[in-house]
Amino acid sequence: MEEARTSWPLKILVLLLFAFLLVPVLVVIPLSFSGENTLRFPPTSWSLRWYGAIFQNQRIMSGFRISATLATLVTILTLAITLPAAYVIVRLRTRGSEFLYNVFTAPLLLPTIVLGLAILIIFAPLGLLGTFTGIALGHLVLTVPYGIRVTATALAGLAVPVEEAAATLGARPLVVFTRITLPLIAPGLLSAAALSFLVSFDELVITLFLAGPRVSTLPFEMFRHLETRSDPLIAAIAVLMIALTLGAVMIVHRTVGLSKSFAGGR
Amino acid sequence: MATAQSAAAGDGAFLSLRGLRKVYTDFVAVENLHLDVPKGELIALLGPSGCGKTTTLRMIAGLASATAGHVMVGGRDITSAPPYDRDMGVVFQSYALFPHMTVAKNIAFGLQMRKVPRAEIDRRVAEAISLVRLNGMEERRPRELSGGQQQRVALARALVIRPSILLFDEPLSNLDAKLRDEMRTEIRDIQQRLGITAVFVTHDQSEALAMCDKVAVLNAGRLEQFGSPIELYEHPANPFVASFVGRVNRLPGTAAGTTVKVGAHDVILPKPMTGAVEVMVRPHRIALGGPSDTAPGANRVTGTISQVAYAGDLVQYGIDVGGTRWFVEQQTTAARPPEVPGTPVSLSWRVEDTLAFPAQG
Repeated sequence: MEEARTSWPLKILVLLLFAFLLVPVLVVIPLSFSGENTLRFPPTSWSLRWYGAIFQNQRIMSGFRISATLATLVTILTLAITLPAAYVIVRLRTRGSEFLYNVFTAPLLLPTIVLGLAILIIFAPLGLLGTFTGIALGHLVLTVPYGIRVTATALAGLAVPVEEAAATLGARPLVVFTRITLPLIAPGLLSAAALSFLVSFDELVITLFLAGPRVSTLPFEMFRHLETRSDPLIAAIAVLMIALTLGAVMIVHRTVGLSKSFAGGR
Repeated sequence: MATAQSAAAGDGAFLSLRGLRKVYTDFVAVENLHLDVPKGELIALLGPSGCGKTTTLRMIAGLASATAGHVMVGGRDITSAPPYDRDMGVVFQSYALFPHMTVAKNIAFGLQMRKVPRAEIDRRVAEAISLVRLNGMEERRPRELSGGQQQRVALARALVIRPSILLFDEPLSNLDAKLRDEMRTEIRDIQQRLGITAVFVTHDQSEALAMCDKVAVLNAGRLEQFGSPIELYEHPANPFVASFVGRVNRLPGTAAGTTVKVGAHDVILPKPMTGAVEVMVRPHRIALGGPSDTAPGANRVTGTISQVAYAGDLVQYGIDVGGTRWFVEQQTTAARPPEVPGTPVSLSWRVEDTLAFPAQG
């Protein structure tokens, strides 16, 4: 059997790239089981104490609760905005469709730190700094572009005649939407939701500009923790976050396939 | 233009299009279309791509809005009714099955929308499934079916609601030739058995002629002719219909009375004309003979065979007649091999097989 051959230099290059991307992440895992007081690799003793320490740390636990609430709310809002927007852009094909799509996805092209600064300048006089609402709005700037991309891709994949057929069979527009459109784009909506949740949950840069003493997210608390201490607590949290991310990615992969939902465009 | 149909609403008409017009931002898709479809007939909308046939179908179904004019069904004006209130079954070119539903659920959908009781839905779905011979496929998903089977599901789904009108949008164009012939017969058979009024959009003239009671030929948004297949083929209203429905030799000539000068030859016309004309003769209505054979009471020209294309059932000759290329089709027989290029021949055909139209432009 003749298999597609990849030359050795190319294989080695790919391997090095993977190592470059993954080794730092993988190093975190043994570190999280360290029994020591500092982030030293390799650890000389092992324990689960830092996992236990997570639940003792009030700031981290509060950050987690806020982040989880925030990410849930941001995800719901993202879907509420992107589904109608994507529908208008893909289905109605009005003259402004292309323009709207570009406006919605433009934030993806900007450095997050620029966005953060811009949002800070606008939010400051509105009294939105250090508020839950402010951070949620800031996160939406990042999650809506992803949501639009994924939802528009899902909608574009649904043939118009399928909806028309339902209409000719007697289904009113709302029924067409709930019985035909929604079930058929559900996988796309699920991946949009998973992506929005993850983006919001581990967002740091914009939050750095907006967080305050009353509202502070998990990544923000981790950042603060690292500034003052260098114990393996951070590694333990990181492992839990990796597990959460993997779980979400698995859900998306099982329902739509990664390449299909993230390979943007319409 | 010579449109055969211009009388006010025909008494027997069930579906009537009255001055239907559709304008998109940059072009006119359908222009002032009048058409009457009697109850229980299958009519074709035939024309090249872009002629407005699909747009017309979509206006009948309510999927496109008419810019002007009216769609009437059984005397009721439904021009502004939404598609879900029109009671029409549509079979789409892409079949447009619901990919997330089984065959049975696809077919049941229209009945559920009509709030038909559960037991009756089950019974009617079963009936429809056996009507299109899909027994045993009830629980399959569309993607597990072949193209022909998907087509049958689409047909059953449109039929099961007992629509007042059945609309087909090029339903056979995605099937291979053999299956297409089979489905043609099957659709026609079902349509006649149920006595349902139907409109069939196609660009395939043989499909339109073979299946339909009447054919409306459309070109650039206008109705060129509406008539039975025989009327269209034997008495085309204009050169477009003559050349779109079947093949023709098109020859310029000058007429004086019933005689036309075509090159060096005199051709007799069935009815008198004057001035510049276009003479048309169908390739298979021409008989080939020896160069000196005479054919009393018939038109006759002589030429030399320049090209032979053998297709098994037919052989097509390209024949040079005084500098003009004519095409002639002959049925083949085992008894006689096809002629060879360079052979001098005579071409003869009946006077009544001669079509002539005033030259255009």
